[in-house]
Amino acid sequence: MNASAEVDVVVIGGGATGAGVLRDLAMRGLRALLVERGDFTSGTSGRYHGLLHSGARYVESDPISARHCIEENAVLRRIAPATIEPTGGYFVATPDDPDDYLERFPAACAEAGIEAEPVPLDDLLRAEPLLNREIRAAYRVPDASLEPWELVDANLASAREHGAEARRYQAVIRFDRSADGAVTAVRVRDERSGDENTIACRAVVSAAGAWAGKVAELAGATLAMSPGKGSMLILNRRMTTAVINRLAPPGDGDILVPVHTVCILGTTDVTVPDPDDAHVTRDEVDALLLEGERLVPGISGARVLRAYAGSRPLYDASDLGGAHADESREISRAHHVIDHGRRDGVGGFWSIVGGKLTTYRLMARDTVDAVAASLDVETPCRTADEPLPSPASGTPYWLGDRLAALEAEGGGNAELICECELVTQRRLDHALDERGDSSLDDLRRTTRLGMGPCQGAFCMPRAAAVLDARRPGAANASLRGFMAERFNGTRSIAWGDQLAELWLTAGIFRGILAVGNLADAPPEASEVQHAAS
Amino acid sequence: MPRADVVVIGAGLAGLSCAAELAERGARVFLAAKGMATTHWTHGGLDVASPAAAPTSRDGIRLLAAMKSHPYRILAADADASVAAHLARMASEGLEHIGSLDAPLTGIPTAIGSLRRAAILPLAQAAALGPWDGEGLLLVGFGRYRDAWAPYAARNLRHAQWPGGPSVVAAVEVDLPGLERLRNIAPHVLARMFQDPAWRTRALSAIADALPAGAWRIGLPAVLGLDAHAEVHADAECTLGHRVFEMASLPPSVPGLRLFEALRRRILASGGRIQVGFDVVEVERSGRRVIAIHTEAASRTLRIGGDAFVLATGGIGGAGIRARHDGTLVERVFGLPVAAPPRDRWFSDDPLRPHPLETAGIEVTDDLASPNLENVRVIGSSLSGMHYLDERCGDGVALASAHRAARSLAGTKAVAA
Repeated sequence: MNASAEVDVVVIGGGATGAGVLRDLAMRGLRALLVERGDFTSGTSGRYHGLLHSGARYVESDPISARHCIEENAVLRRIAPATIEPTGGYFVATPDDPDDYLERFPAACAEAGIEAEPVPLDDLLRAEPLLNREIRAAYRVPDASLEPWELVDANLASAREHGAEARRYQAVIRFDRSADGAVTAVRVRDERSGDENTIACRAVVSAAGAWAGKVAELAGATLAMSPGKGSMLILNRRMTTAVINRLAPPGDGDILVPVHTVCILGTTDVTVPDPDDAHVTRDEVDALLLEGERLVPGISGARVLRAYAGSRPLYDASDLGGAHADESREISRAHHVIDHGRRDGVGGFWSIVGGKLTTYRLMARDTVDAVAASLDVETPCRTADEPLPSPASGTPYWLGDRLAALEAEGGGNAELICECELVTQRRLDHALDERGDSSLDDLRRTTRLGMGPCQGAFCMPRAAAVLDARRPGAANASLRGFMAERFNGTRSIAWGDQLAELWLTAGIFRGILAVGNLADAPPEASEVQHAAS
Repeated sequence: MPRADVVVIGAGLAGLSCAAELAERGARVFLAAKGMATTHWTHGGLDVASPAAAPTSRDGIRLLAAMKSHPYRILAADADASVAAHLARMASEGLEHIGSLDAPLTGIPTAIGSLRRAAILPLAQAAALGPWDGEGLLLVGFGRYRDAWAPYAARNLRHAQWPGGPSVVAAVEVDLPGLERLRNIAPHVLARMFQDPAWRTRALSAIADALPAGAWRIGLPAVLGLDAHAEVHADAECTLGHRVFEMASLPPSVPGLRLFEALRRRILASGGRIQVGFDVVEVERSGRRVIAIHTEAASRTLRIGGDAFVLATGGIGGAGIRARHDGTLVERVFGLPVAAPPRDRWFSDDPLRPHPLETAGIEVTDDLASPNLENVRVIGSSLSGMHYLDERCGDGVALASAHRAARSLAGTKAVAA
């Protein structure tokens, strides 16, 4: 053990799992520091479909995950109500779905402890009139819509209250180990300034998700990850009020999740060698729309705002000695805590892999149980008992609240930087007060800037001017990075109105403003944009 | 039901100019458009042809005309006459311009602080053109007006490569009277306020009070009035005691609104008719000829018959061409075939670089006729083969093709008045 350690535990990865681990460590009295190579919630947690699983999706293929999901579903509703919109969910059998799956479903749900109540079709179609009229059976399950950015921020805020620290734009570049192989320190590089820094510690938890294999390699351990790319489409309005799932084995385009003013159609599942591969292919888009048609006929004629992909932190089951499978959906989504001291001779190093965003807290608990025991800390986990900090309202974010607040001040557009998501200059200033080093893309995650139908055409230059006033010289690189990020998510769904919107955007940036000719010599340090986001 | 010699579809620069010229030549013209067009997105200058290597617009036209399948390949000869006719038309409506095809293309500042190459500008933007004679550039923003970014633009311009540019670039933010109480502050709202002489006097003196000492040219947001624009601009220069130029920012573009209104007035004054706001829902044909279009009017469809038809509905941006999710491209009025690159090459990786898909459009014969429909001419951004943003040639092609179509239709039986 490292006697001169600055902290007890370094946590690598600023998604839901890492934030959950940090909070759990801090609540057990351990000194903990989280490092994230990009912005918080910019990896898989920020690139998922927004579904708080009931677990019913996995009752057949992965009963362990199913049970974890329903238990954590109840926990999160208790400790994080402000991040959850209780939409409810349905599993619906279309004429294309297999009879035997439908027959086994109720018993499998009961077995996993998931309440699945049959719904008369008339009631279903009254509640969800856009659904396929040929749906032949439906069950109501406790699915919900979950806001990942706020969930991660709440976990980080709680961790800070308990004395922990979290730093973003810190990439791990090296592990220091003692003669017996144990980890003694982690070396990180600040992705913006390039400065390097060594953090002495007694233990390290890698919560790097799909990137955990790369982190393990840096530590001298091996970890066979099998990242599963999942692509999703954002449609510009809510097609349904509740989450809709196909009553069939997991497949492409079988989930529709209402999220705020839009809905998300997901997902594909493609095993990719590189977790940074977030490219949505045309085949994936076609597959999603084709399958989406079976849930909501005509959905492929709707306006698609954006496509995006996340990288599932799937762990290659063959590495655990289980049966090997090529299809990543067949690999268990249940989580595994890996003690690399026992496994690879790298003492004090743990990886947490697999799992779902819904089960992040359980994953954190199991990890911290192991780490705490190794550090002779016996304090039990309390993360399921103590609610997360929440906004004063205690209710989920709703765009209508922003509109009401604007109207209470007299309404009008003068204060709005982003009209689609009603982001005022005051809100941007507040976000910059909180995290002054934010790029425009970071501000998007905290304020929803540029996430509406115009995908930033109007708000980007306005927000760049706000940023320039705060950090002279930083705005141009940030603007270019944000434009590239918005463009990446639009071009694979560029047809109809959204293609015309892209052309309007081009007309503004290249025609009127000639952004490509902007001077490239900002007086202060340039910003690093994350390639994956 | 309306009947016309020529039915023009689309109200952008091409459609409006074509309808105006036909009406001036005595044709019975009906212009139908589904909505306001891309004039409202523009910076207000005239992009005739400014590809990167061209010193003048004339050189630019020559370079573009040498490219296979560029519209200038067949339109270069019309550039002089069409630009001259356009500038005369604008002048007659009170919108004077400066510059010519032979004027040097020089960098003028944009609202974000980059330099855009231009040669032909409305008078109210002329002071942005070099050479600068030792004056400084002072950018003025208005308090609470979110689309003028004077300090940001000034910082960018101080770092720009700007040979022969201003001696110094500065920025100042001015609170205009009453703006603190206004809830909606859009460019056209401010433009209307500037039309009011009493408010204008107070607003201009507020700006004058904020001016630092020195010899300046002053860049103001492009909101200096609508139909009284010339008077507002002259007033601004007189009160401020410096040359003043407008800088267009995010849409709606007030210079574009003025252009639209000037051409609209011109068409109406010459006896043409205009219907804006309704889509074409049906096309009547007889063999390879179009007999009539039907538009979706307020309470029933309206049949508009004509001897000739001009398609000026624009490209993808103007919504004349629409992509389906399977990647097919549809010309929305007549269903003409669209020439475009294969779908896997539609985009470049960088949003600031030209995308191959920008060249999508309709292929035409040398007199702009559709090979599929013998009495349909195609003009403006509906034409295939140009990268209008990078080549900065959209306005020039719009004017030259509008002029070519109007001239050729005026010479046929269709307009035998």
